Amino acid sequence: MRRIWGWVDERLQISPILAAFLDRRVPAQVGWAHVLGSATLLFLVVQVATGIVLSLTYVPSPDAAYESILYIDQTPLGGLVRGIHHWSAGLLVILIGLHTLRVFIWAAYRYPRELTWVAGALLFFVVLAFAFTGYLLPWDQKAYWATVVGTNIAGSVPFFGKNMVELLRGGPQLGAVTLARFYGVHIWVLPAALFLLVGFHLFAVLRQGIAASPRHRPLVAAIPGESRRDRYQREYSAEKAVGHPFWRALLKDAIFSGVLLMIVFALAIFLGAPLEPKANPNAVGYAPRPEWYFLSLFQMLWYFTGPFESLLIFGFFGAGALLFLLVPFIDRSREVLPQRRPIAMAFAGAVVVGVVGLTVIGATSSPAGVATVPPIPGMTAQQLEGLKVYNAEGCSSCHAVRGIGGNSGPDLSRAGFRWEADTIRTQIVTPQDVKMPAFDGLTARQLDDLVAFLTSMK
Amino acid sequence: MTHQPGPDDLSRRALFVKALAAIGGVFAAAVAVPVIGFGTAPFWRAKGDLRLISRAVTPALRATGWASAGNLADFTVGEPRLVTLSREVVDGWVKGEDRVACYVVRSGDAAAVAFDHHCTHLGCPLAWSGGAKRFLCPCHGGAFDVTGAVVAGPPPRPMLTYETRVENGEVMIGSLQAES
Repeated sequence: MRRIWGWVDERLQISPILAAFLDRRVPAQVGWAHVLGSATLLFLVVQVATGIVLSLTYVPSPDAAYESILYIDQTPLGGLVRGIHHWSAGLLVILIGLHTLRVFIWAAYRYPRELTWVAGALLFFVVLAFAFTGYLLPWDQKAYWATVVGTNIAGSVPFFGKNMVELLRGGPQLGAVTLARFYGVHIWVLPAALFLLVGFHLFAVLRQGIAASPRHRPLVAAIPGESRRDRYQREYSAEKAVGHPFWRALLKDAIFSGVLLMIVFALAIFLGAPLEPKANPNAVGYAPRPEWYFLSLFQMLWYFTGPFESLLIFGFFGAGALLFLLVPFIDRSREVLPQRRPIAMAFAGAVVVGVVGLTVIGATSSPAGVATVPPIPGMTAQQLEGLKVYNAEGCSSCHAVRGIGGNSGPDLSRAGFRWEADTIRTQIVTPQDVKMPAFDGLTARQLDDLVAFLTSMK
Repeated sequence: MTHQPGPDDLSRRALFVKALAAIGGVFAAAVAVPVIGFGTAPFWRAKGDLRLISRAVTPALRATGWASAGNLADFTVGEPRLVTLSREVVDGWVKGEDRVACYVVRSGDAAAVAFDHHCTHLGCPLAWSGGAKRFLCPCHGGAFDVTGAVVAGPPPRPMLTYETRVENGEVMIGSLQAES
C-alpha cells in the first residue's frame, strides 16, 4: 500500500497539497461548533451514493414505481439502502438548518464571506427541493397526495400560478409525466446544482479560511486609512497565529459524523423507510400529510385564508426566501457578538420558535378534516357522550366551539347561554335554516347527550 | 531566450479572450434555447387566463367521452355517492382506460350532478359525511354542501363539476368542466 502510494505521489506530487490542506492554520475556536458543516457534507455524499444504487432498480413510472420500491425492499440490503436514503434526507434538513443557524449567530456571513452565505442559502433550497421531488418517487399515497398539495401551493405565484403548476406537473394533471419529471429533476438537475454550489461553497471556505468566532475585542487595532481588505487580512492572520492546525479539528468532525451515521443506520435497520399503500388518485378519506420537515409550512396554510390566500403564501414565502438569501447584504452592521445584535438574534429566535412550534402543532393536530373538539375538565359523563356525538356527526365543519370548527353556522361556544334546551333540540332535528341539514337520524339518547353538551356551553 | 509579453501582446490577448467569450456565449445560447425551452415547455403550454390569485389545479386524469354511472333511479336525491368509472384518459404517452372517481348526486326527477372529488383549496380528496351532509376536506377544514357550494374553510370556489346528462334513465358523465 505504502509503495503504491509512494509511486503515485512521486508522479503527481500530492502530499504537498495534502500537507498544506491539513496543516493550514485555522482560528482557535474551530472545533465542536463546526462539526455541522462537515456532517452536512458527509450526508450529502451518503445521499448521492445511496441514491445512485437505488436508481439501478427504481423505475419512474406510475405502473411500476411502487412495485420497484417493494422489490428494492425485498432485495438483500435494498431496504437498508432505502432506509439510509430516507433517514439521511430528514437528518440533512436538520443539519443544514443548524449549520445555517450557527453561521448566523456567529455573523460568519460578514465581509468577505457574503457569497459563501448566498451559496449556502441556495444549497438549503436545493436540499428542500431534493426532499420535495424525492418523496413523490415511491408513488405511495403519501407521495401522491403530498405532491398534489405541494404543486398547488407552488402555484400561488401571481398571474403565472397555473403555469407554475403545469411546469412542475408537466401538465395539468399529476401522472406519468409528473413522475418522470420529478425523477429527472431529482437525479440530474438538483445534483448538478448541488455539485456546483457545494464546490463553490467549499472553494470559498478553503480560499478564505474558516471564519473566526466573535470576539469582544478584535486581536488587532484599526489603522486609520487602512483598506477593509488589509484590515481583515491582518485580523485573520492574527486569528490564525493564535489558532491551531486544521487536522486537530478533524477528530471532532469524525466523532460527530460517526454518531449521526450510527443513528441513521439504526433507524434504517429497525424502522426502515416507510411506505404507504400504492397511490390511489380515487381515494376519499385519505388525509394528506407532508413529511415532517414540510409540516410547518403545511400548518401555516391554516392561518393564510381568505380571498388573497395565494398572494399571502407567495408573498410570505417569497419574501422569506429573499430575506434569507440576502442576509449578508441586509445586515450591514459591524457587530459580531450575538449579545450586541439583539434584532438579528430576536429574528433568528422567532424563526426557530415559529418553525418548531408549527411543526409540533401540525404533528399533534388531528389529521381528520373536521376539527375535533377536545373535552375539558369538569364535564359530566353525559356531556362527554354528547361531545362524542358532536364530533362524530361533523358539527365542527360548520360550527365553532371554543374557537375550533367552521364558521358557516353560528358559533356554539355559548349555546347554552343563548338558547333553551328545547330550542336547541328542535334546531337539530328540524332546523329552520335551510343551510343546516336535519340530524333526524340520531337516537333519543344521542340527542339528549348532544343537547346536554350544548347547553353546558355558557 | 524567453519572449516578454509587450503591451501589444496584452491587448491582443484581451481581444482574443473577448472574442472567445463571445463565441462561447453563442454556443451556450444555441444549446440553452432548446434545452431550457423543452424543459419548461409545460409552463408555456399551460392554458388559462392570467390570474392574480391562483387556484388549485385538479390533479385528476382528464377523461374524455361519456361513461354511465348507472340508473338514476338507484340514486337518492341529495345523497352523493362516489362512483369510480372506467374512462378514456390520456396521461402523457399513456393512452387508454383508467379509473376516475367522482361524486354523483341526484338533484331531481330527471337530473343529476357529478362533482370532482378534489377540494378547490389545494386538491385534497373530499369525503362525503352523511351526518353533517357536507363534503369535508381532511387538509384545512374546507366544507362544501350538497350543491358543491363552499360552506366553511378556505376553499375559494365551489366544487368542480363534470358534464352530466340523463339518457334513458341512465346517468352519463362527460368531461370535467373548464377550470378557469
